[in-house]
Amino acid sequence: MIRDIAPVQIAPTRIDWPMLAQRWRVPLLAVGLAALPWIVPSQALAVNILIFGLYATGFNLLFGFTGMLSFGHAAFFGAGAYGTGIALARFGIGWFGAIGTGIAVASALALLIGALSIRSRGIYFSMVTLALAQLIYYIALQATGWTGGENGLRGLTVLTLHIGPLTLNFLDPTVKYYVILAFVVAALWAVSRLLNAPFGAAIEAIRENEGRAAACGYDVKRIKLVAFVLSGSICGLAGALNALHLSIVPIDSLSYQTSGLAVIMVLLGGAGTFFGPFIGAAIFLLIEDVFSLWTVHWQLFAGMVFILAVLFLPHGVWGTLVSWRKGREP
Amino acid sequence: MDETRFTIGRRALLGGAIATLSAPALLLRAARAEDEPIKIGFPTPLTGPFGAEAKDQVQCAQLAIKQFNAAGGLKGRQAELLVRDDKLNPGEAATRTLELIEKDKVACIVGALSASVQLATNEVTKARGVVYVSISQSDAITAAPDFSRTTFHEALNPHMTAGAVARHVFKPGMKVAILLADYAYGQEMAAGFRRAAEAIGGVDIVLEQKHPFGAADYSTFIPALRAAKADVVCICNFGRDQANSIKQAVDLGLKRQSKIVVPVLLYNQRLAGSADAFEGIIGGSNYYWTIEDRLPAAKAFNDAYRSETNGNTPSDYGAYGYAGVRIVLDAMRRAGSVEPDALVHELEGAHYETYKGPETMRACDHQAVQSVLILDSKAKAAMKTPSDFFDIVAVENGTEKNLRSCADLGHTVAAQ
Repeated sequence: MIRDIAPVQIAPTRIDWPMLAQRWRVPLLAVGLAALPWIVPSQALAVNILIFGLYATGFNLLFGFTGMLSFGHAAFFGAGAYGTGIALARFGIGWFGAIGTGIAVASALALLIGALSIRSRGIYFSMVTLALAQLIYYIALQATGWTGGENGLRGLTVLTLHIGPLTLNFLDPTVKYYVILAFVVAALWAVSRLLNAPFGAAIEAIRENEGRAAACGYDVKRIKLVAFVLSGSICGLAGALNALHLSIVPIDSLSYQTSGLAVIMVLLGGAGTFFGPFIGAAIFLLIEDVFSLWTVHWQLFAGMVFILAVLFLPHGVWGTLVSWRKGREP
Repeated sequence: MDETRFTIGRRALLGGAIATLSAPALLLRAARAEDEPIKIGFPTPLTGPFGAEAKDQVQCAQLAIKQFNAAGGLKGRQAELLVRDDKLNPGEAATRTLELIEKDKVACIVGALSASVQLATNEVTKARGVVYVSISQSDAITAAPDFSRTTFHEALNPHMTAGAVARHVFKPGMKVAILLADYAYGQEMAAGFRRAAEAIGGVDIVLEQKHPFGAADYSTFIPALRAAKADVVCICNFGRDQANSIKQAVDLGLKRQSKIVVPVLLYNQRLAGSADAFEGIIGGSNYYWTIEDRLPAAKAFNDAYRSETNGNTPSDYGAYGYAGVRIVLDAMRRAGSVEPDALVHELEGAHYETYKGPETMRACDHQAVQSVLILDSKAKAAMKTPSDFFDIVAVENGTEKNLRSCADLGHTVAAQ
């Protein structure tokens, strides 16, 4: 009997780099982002890449992983920013509590908008989210007493951070960068856990085939709503950090262009990938920053890059790289 | 003995040699820090609906830099203008200003061309104690809580501009209608007209019609203005909006019925528009080039600009760019330093003349007290040269009387 068992062939151990990168994706991204201020032209730009990378990550959770294209994510980015800004400027809440307030406001808004919009699908879902986000924009524009209206919200400059016995000078760009990085990495870790959990598999199942997911016994509506709220709260955190970074909340943070930004960044980087949103945000913001220093006609060159990206990298920069790598595997 | 002495001598020689060799290097380094140009950050919306005004501002700001450098700079130190496109977006402006301060280590910031953008820029500069000279209209920036000791406002503000136009045009018993772009500029200008109407007394504001910022089609707003049958229609918008709305108002016959006035009659928009559309329209301005007949400073500025641009004429908003940069460079030269404290000290309460006659930087709110020109658009037949657009029908000289009081702006008298 023993003779019947075929000898186990142990293949020479080959390190599976993509697998390893996948497992260590949060520390990997954290290290990459920690080096960012020395790679890009300025620290202010590096902070923007962090914030918009996180914003795109939040959007990607809904668009890339759950398969729902929202055109209204600026509402959550803006709600996070205004929540934080108003807590700081009008109520004198500390910076940490203010960030919490921002996330809470964004999550509550996401619950409301999500509950209304997930009843529709496809293009109708996109239109409903866009319409509701525009509603929020005009409310903020009119509520001048709270939001500062067209002039934007001011008076929320955070000069120093008190963390336990530590006092940090938040005006120092390096300190600011690493404080914001800490929040971003924490959020990324949460997203990564979420995607590895059964919930992650469930949302991808809904993306691939909603009917079959329902037939498998998943409560599709509920999972969609949870994904929507989680996505909104991550975008809310990005907005909160943006308010701290710029020390203003412009009304533009609620505008449909900001919603479009998330779509562009995710498509550019690669939808449904973990690293894609950050790569998309970095490319987009770098192009804007560097090209506009060279020429007034920077939009022309930025437009060309986007057209080329859409034509030749349909899965985005990172997405194409990943699928190319997968295609080469035996 | 000899050997010891020799050894010490050699050490001394070595030390001396190192010192002699390194001294020039050290001196050179120190000299380099001295030679490093004085950087002035200039965020401005090169792209977007105010692009024409922004490009003029850059050109005029460069002229001020060039003159400063040609005159020897600050004890030999040259100045340099760092122009950044703020895309007419407050968030972008805040980021660019952060970059200019943190990375480029600018000595001061001048610029921005909309109320929300200048307030965003100001928020960044004020927290970092960097001098900021704003060169576009806003009432909020000189008032509490936005004002700070490093905030200066070289441009006119809506209260002064709309006030001057209203004092010239409004008469008791008149009916007035207002068309305004629904954002800070339009709202503040409309408020300026309202306050002036109240002060004059007997002026009835019968309609306030709002239009969205950047609207291309005004045909839905004009009928309401016609129906109001007002004696005067005030059109409060900026940049391309001004030329578009005036052209359509004239096409739809508004001018035959009411006198059209604008708070700021823009040189660039008249250049882009036509004489027929603008004919007879009255508006305020900080500057119009024909004032050179009365003011040598204006003549000097115009001539310098002409020789720089093959005979072109500077525009009103361009002139702000010149004045904004010029006043900080002059302050640096007077102070012999680029330190913010020294600059604030020099600028606060300063009396100066850069391009348009005497101005005073009021101490309590850092608003440049200056003249407002009232312009009347010429008919095509009356134009003597291609840039002869307006008649200067009145000049309201700068006086504190026409500004809101320091107490009204929320400044304690002790701040003076």
